[in-house]
Amino acid sequence: MRIEAIGCEPLQLRRVHLENSRTLDVYRRNGGYEALKKVLDGMSPDDVINEVKKSALRGRGGAGFPTGMKWSFVPKDSPKPKYVVCNADESEPGTFKDRYLMERDPHMLIEGMLIAAYSLNSQTGYIYTRGEYKYLIDIMDVALEEARAAGLVGKNILGTNFGCEIHTHTGAGAYICGEETALLSSLEGLRGHPRMKPPFPAVSGLYAAPTVVNNVETLTAVPDIIKMGGEAYQKLGTEKSGGTKLWSVSGHVNSPGVYELPMGYDDMEKFIMEDCGGILDGKKLKAVIPGGSSVYIMRADQIIGKDVRMDYEGLVAAGSSVGSGGFIVMDETVDIFESTKNLTEFYKHESCGWCTPCREGTDWLVKVFKRIENGGGRIEDAQLMLDLCDNIEGKSFCPLGDAASWPIQSAIKRFPEDFIHRLRRLNVD
Amino acid sequence: MSTELIKVTINGKDFEVPKGARLIDVCREKGFDIPSFCYYSDLALQASCRMCLVRIEKMPKLQTSCTIICTDGMIVTTQSEEIEKAQRGMTEFLLANHPLDCPVCDRGGECELQEMTFDWGGLEERFTEKKNYYAERYLSPMVANDPQRCILCKRCTRVCDEWMGEDAIEAGGRGAHTVIGTYLGWLDCSQCGNCIEVCPTGTLLDATYRHQTRPWELAQSITTCNFCSDGCQMSLGSRGGEVRRSVARDRYVNGINGEFLCVKGRFGHPFINHEARIRTPMIRYKKGGKLIPATWDDAIRHVAERLDAVAEEHGRNAVGVVGSPRLTNEALHVLYKFTTELVGTQNYTTTDAFSLRSFFGHLGGPLATHRDIRYANTIVLIGGDPSELQPLTGKQIRQAVRNGSSTLVLVNSVPIRLREQAKIFLHIRPMTEDAIAFALFDRSADSLAAQKAGVEENAIAAARQAIADSTGDVVVMFGGELTATAQAVLAQLSQKFATRDRRILFHPLPLFNNSIGAHDMGMMEAPTSPRGMLNAAGNGIRALYVAGSFLPEQLEGHEDALSKLDFLVVQELFETETTAAADVVLPAASYAEQDGTFTNNDGLVQRVRQSIPALHQSKPDWVIVSQLAKELGMDFGYEMSASAVFREISETVPAYSGMRYPLLKDETNPVQAKYQVTERADVSSELSVLRECVEKLPNTGDKVMVTPDVGTELFKIGTLTDKVAQFHLLANGNPRPETTAVSPLYQIGRQNADFQLPIANLKNETSASELVD
Amino acid sequence: MSTQIVNIQPLSQPVDLGVEPATFSPEVEAEIDRHLAKYPVARSAILPLMFIVQRERGYLDPPGVLYLANRLKLRVTDIWEVATFYSMINTAPVGKYHIQICKTLSCRIRGAGKVTEYCSQKLGIKVGETTADGRFTLSEVECLGSCGTAPMFQLNFDYHENLTPEKIDQILDKLP
Repeated sequence: MRIEAIGCEPLQLRRVHLENSRTLDVYRRNGGYEALKKVLDGMSPDDVINEVKKSALRGRGGAGFPTGMKWSFVPKDSPKPKYVVCNADESEPGTFKDRYLMERDPHMLIEGMLIAAYSLNSQTGYIYTRGEYKYLIDIMDVALEEARAAGLVGKNILGTNFGCEIHTHTGAGAYICGEETALLSSLEGLRGHPRMKPPFPAVSGLYAAPTVVNNVETLTAVPDIIKMGGEAYQKLGTEKSGGTKLWSVSGHVNSPGVYELPMGYDDMEKFIMEDCGGILDGKKLKAVIPGGSSVYIMRADQIIGKDVRMDYEGLVAAGSSVGSGGFIVMDETVDIFESTKNLTEFYKHESCGWCTPCREGTDWLVKVFKRIENGGGRIEDAQLMLDLCDNIEGKSFCPLGDAASWPIQSAIKRFPEDFIHRLRRLNVD
Repeated sequence: MSTELIKVTINGKDFEVPKGARLIDVCREKGFDIPSFCYYSDLALQASCRMCLVRIEKMPKLQTSCTIICTDGMIVTTQSEEIEKAQRGMTEFLLANHPLDCPVCDRGGECELQEMTFDWGGLEERFTEKKNYYAERYLSPMVANDPQRCILCKRCTRVCDEWMGEDAIEAGGRGAHTVIGTYLGWLDCSQCGNCIEVCPTGTLLDATYRHQTRPWELAQSITTCNFCSDGCQMSLGSRGGEVRRSVARDRYVNGINGEFLCVKGRFGHPFINHEARIRTPMIRYKKGGKLIPATWDDAIRHVAERLDAVAEEHGRNAVGVVGSPRLTNEALHVLYKFTTELVGTQNYTTTDAFSLRSFFGHLGGPLATHRDIRYANTIVLIGGDPSELQPLTGKQIRQAVRNGSSTLVLVNSVPIRLREQAKIFLHIRPMTEDAIAFALFDRSADSLAAQKAGVEENAIAAARQAIADSTGDVVVMFGGELTATAQAVLAQLSQKFATRDRRILFHPLPLFNNSIGAHDMGMMEAPTSPRGMLNAAGNGIRALYVAGSFLPEQLEGHEDALSKLDFLVVQELFETETTAAADVVLPAASYAEQDGTFTNNDGLVQRVRQSIPALHQSKPDWVIVSQLAKELGMDFGYEMSASAVFREISETVPAYSGMRYPLLKDETNPVQAKYQVTERADVSSELSVLRECVEKLPNTGDKVMVTPDVGTELFKIGTLTDKVAQFHLLANGNPRPETTAVSPLYQIGRQNADFQLPIANLKNETSASELVD
Repeated sequence: MSTQIVNIQPLSQPVDLGVEPATFSPEVEAEIDRHLAKYPVARSAILPLMFIVQRERGYLDPPGVLYLANRLKLRVTDIWEVATFYSMINTAPVGKYHIQICKTLSCRIRGAGKVTEYCSQKLGIKVGETTADGRFTLSEVECLGSCGTAPMFQLNFDYHENLTPEKIDQILDKLP
């Protein structure tokens, strides 16, 4: 499986192939903790936030919210302790980039969190890692021990007044805990149900204190932003989508893996057919889900010859979204009905059950899919499914409801042929 | 909420609403109906049912109106095609897995899901798939559960957490397989049944009332509970002269308790129609002989003759009169009149557990209502255990702390469950409550109190400081542990702390439904106590007229006292230890068979309404006493109506002046008695007596370290709860039956020989195996 | 305010389990203490502690649940409601080796179905079942974040990727 940068110098993937890349020693010898030093030497917390704002870094977990803006929401005058929480609950189908960042370069995450903590006046950080990634928690713990011993984590970091402790925390198998407020519920020891926004976590989050929740890839971008400056980072990408993005490529390609591309990489067809080695066994491309299962599925003819720029704006224009960058490539052997059923089962299984539309809707949709699969499809089922999706989308408590609807809505609209033949024809269309 | 007004436009019309108002409440107030399930007043917000969606201009998605606080200039649409589609959609989702059980579901006819579907749902059933299946089961002797019907509004879990502080019932599982239940499937909670009441569907059901009748066949009448002194308003459902259930559901009644009731209020009613009710007057013609049924005329005449004889021979004071704190005000008033005007004895009392005479005699501030407790700034609770003895008060305290940021100062020798909500807990040695009451009033007593109670001096100071720091109401509550002197001093705490911005309110915690009324009607005026009465039996007291019965703890050590009397008359519902010694037993009607009033621990005078005709030959207590009075030559002149008696009460009891039944008819607007308040009474002599008493307390002593189990008091078997089969299950440890698929009542006999169920209440005794396939 | 509260019996429990709470060795207790020390609120440690109890007792059984309730000062229903929410917490016994095959899209289109068939055949059990000797439990789970090396499964906590029948044989036959 490949891990490499395409179209730019590796930034986040700079050290992943170095021997002993996990160790503090290797990290330090390859530019590690320099950004932290630069911050502690002469930057104020506001300076840091401004650099991040200039970088046009957007949340890499899937929501794409401007990171600098999120950090600036934390009230500076609040007497409560502030928290930095790293969302390492990577569970979006098709996404596996955070895994390799933590596996190969754990210190980069630690440094990113420390800088974030400094800018927010926070002294405590938690890395909420999905339970299945237990081996990564162990790796992270070792890295944190190294960092503590070297005076990089804990009190008086690098001999300054700034102190910050970072702890790992395990999830236990719930995709919903990747939603930031559900993550905080889980971190507080409750069932992982999302919470009402407002109040936003930046104002009232973990233990009702100001909290910033960021994805692993967002935090690991921070040291480079500091080192090269926000503007330079932004220029690597496009105006509204700065820097580089990691794309987790899987499915029917010859070279699946984690690829670092500059934002706005030109273009998606080249990426699939050349950089990722083209379709397996010489088959034809049929569909791509470019941003993790929750984004609209794309037809091959929306990509081939369409010059799709791989950044937030470019993908939206092409009819999908960057999301988490979980890039799933499907060839002509894939029945989109089945692939959509597979994803719907995922959402039904992972629905937390809090709100009516998502809980009952995903359950109903799975049952419809199963019935159709078993030969009981009716012509009105397509409209039924679209209508159920319409009743879930925008009405649910958290975005999981929307995420469950979009694959079905886009699949039915863009691949009707894979559905129609399963629904009984009452008259000739 | 502030008094500042802002403008909100709803469906094109402009309204002025208070700033900070919740949108859903505002819309409903202004006549725009909005459906909801999970939204419940004073419970944690959920926004999970998604029924209350509205469109707010400038907000991208439909919003749940239950979470929106109105802002100035907000433009809201509650009726539109998109909203109607959403409402139909949500209803459709809720009905997807919901079984079409209406024909066999107890909730049919009272079901919020039914009503919501009629009003907001679509006409089509599009769900043709298989519904998720869960088996029916019993979660406890009181709570039956059909998980398939659940719409996961979580009212039950919130009520159990926030009202009761018990966390007994929770949601387990995830997604569409979330099920309300408890670990290992059996509830050992306080069995209050509030989860049943607030459930909008037939998921949680009253197991004692299961499959008995349909709600529209019941006549519902609003009355006041006859168990503890909280005076919850409830609606008794009766059919064919039999009370079938007791509910507080808001479609029937809206009193101080909302939909709250405790296990006794909700499930204690079977005593009303129990077959052990005394049916006719009975006379024991010879000492040691049997009680023989007699007619009312004969019995009344017999009583009159014998009482006359005793009074003739030994003087008026040889006749003692004992009332019960369970009687209505009307009954107690007529009894008082009988006692003081006719009999003319100085020996009278009620069988209440303790007297509040000293408290009322030195009252320094108003009594708190339950609403006052909810909104209090500080609550001081000395002794008592509201969670077990006055559950509504316990609930108000918990909600005050949770939602009102109230500070709870707990002073108790037992680490009662409310310590979980207490900011300050003075864990004192047993029987040293007086010391703390003393120190709260007089700071110079701090070190003395600390020494005797076994707590830190600065802890006492902190408790006192919590009162002094309060802005808003301070509610002082106390139980039966305080002596009369301590009561007097505590009642005057207001002179120390009351200011223009800080009211000191009082909330005594007597045990019975009309303990306060008993005091108000004068039956506690005399210095006699129940034990005193029993002590004097056979000497100074030769005859007793008892309306009610002595408590078992009062009879302890005086087992043969009653047999020493020349003559004992008892008016009662059931045979008790007291009736066992009686020469004449007169059948009284229960609170469900008469009109009247009870006065609760807020001093609220609340209506008791007749629900069914009096059973057999029983009569209301006040009617019996009036008839006896007439036989003895004094016609009280009531036109056989309780309201006439009440009118007399309002003319003779200053605190009740101006009250009439029509004034009391709305349970949502209860009327408080106007007690005499002496803002600055001289308690110097009480203080010195109190100091002496406290000084006599020992300097050492072990503390109670164990929190009593839930139900220690609630499940106690008394005369009334004895008649409810399920209470016997609860009192015997609520054993988990072999299978939860069948009511535990039908199984217990087979597996537990340790206790016998009074089977009178079992409609059919069937073995478990016959009922489960 | 009173220090004696520490000795008072823990919270009243709304369910009488009829069992004694589980006990653990000093090393395990120390491990639990280390987790508790990470958070200002004890309840936050509920998931790490559940994994420890699960590891020590095989699954989260009633004595384990009571232990957690006492340790975290919660009610047993609080433990239960959290435990049943998360897929990785087992409130019923599982086999010594829990094979969790990823079934989500990327693995699915790269042959996860065949992996399931092969394991099912090899072990003689269907998905959701445990072998009679209690060694293997076979489950299908959702995306494990290993899409680039599909198909794959997780055996207890270990990832086994790029699976083929040969590789599966290698992995399972080698297990002690």
